[in-house]
Amino acid sequence: MSELEIIQKESITHTQLVRYAGASGDFNPIHTVVPIGEKAGLGGVIAHGMLIMGMAGEALTKWFPRQNIRAFKVRFSAMTRPGEKLSIEGHIDEEKTVNGEERLAGKVFVKNENGEVKLKGQFEVKKS
Amino acid sequence: MQSMNKTGKTFHVQPFTVERGKIKEFAMAIGDDNPIYYDVEKAKEQGFRDIPIPPTFPTVMEMWSGLDFETLIRELDLDPLMVLHGEQEYEYLEDICAGDEITCTAKVISHVEKRRMTFITIENLFSRDGKIVLIARSNIIERNQ
Repeated sequence: MSELEIIQKESITHTQLVRYAGASGDFNPIHTVVPIGEKAGLGGVIAHGMLIMGMAGEALTKWFPRQNIRAFKVRFSAMTRPGEKLSIEGHIDEEKTVNGEERLAGKVFVKNENGEVKLKGQFEVKKS
Repeated sequence: MQSMNKTGKTFHVQPFTVERGKIKEFAMAIGDDNPIYYDVEKAKEQGFRDIPIPPTFPTVMEMWSGLDFETLIRELDLDPLMVLHGEQEYEYLEDICAGDEITCTAKVISHVEKRRMTFITIENLFSRDGKIVLIARSNIIERNQ
């Protein structure tokens, strides 16, 4: 198993959630409108899961060339709120061959500053 | 309850043209400073035809071509306040770059009710010139009262 460099992100802000809503087109109001987040029982707005996966994707493409990414799958395990500061960790587990192509397979984790896991994922990249 | 099952349901989705500006906007929203998303010369140095899409950009191609949150809520008869994103998966078959016109075929491939929760998986096949270039699978969860 080979550890990958930890990627540290800036704190999530409410403005970033508004910005991500516009960029992605996901206007689910639980991400941007505080009273609706409260009505949904979330105690305020929560980050889009896809924003968190986007940060994991950023880490993947810092660890490996973008062109080598072949598969990326995540499970969202905890909600993220404005003010949380996330980091992305990962490691390579094994080498495998898929359709004659040599690949590296590994795992990626997004955590907050207290170590709470927000997302667990797995990836495959072409071995370069 | 079989008639309520949404498995096999398809969605009406418009073609989507990938644009440099939309890629830049999306990368900036994530805080991803990789120069290949901002500078076409840097992208070409890495072997791309043009600015490539970030790994999670297919969500943009879904939302902006008609498979947006409001549509999913309406078509799948979900309570918008109770919907969460459970899992997301991508298989990257070919590069997708700015300038590409992408068509998407979206279908519910699984609909399961268990423990007062609804689990729906939607599979999207993204094609360019009739050839599948990317596969996405989204699992969404509705918490039932």
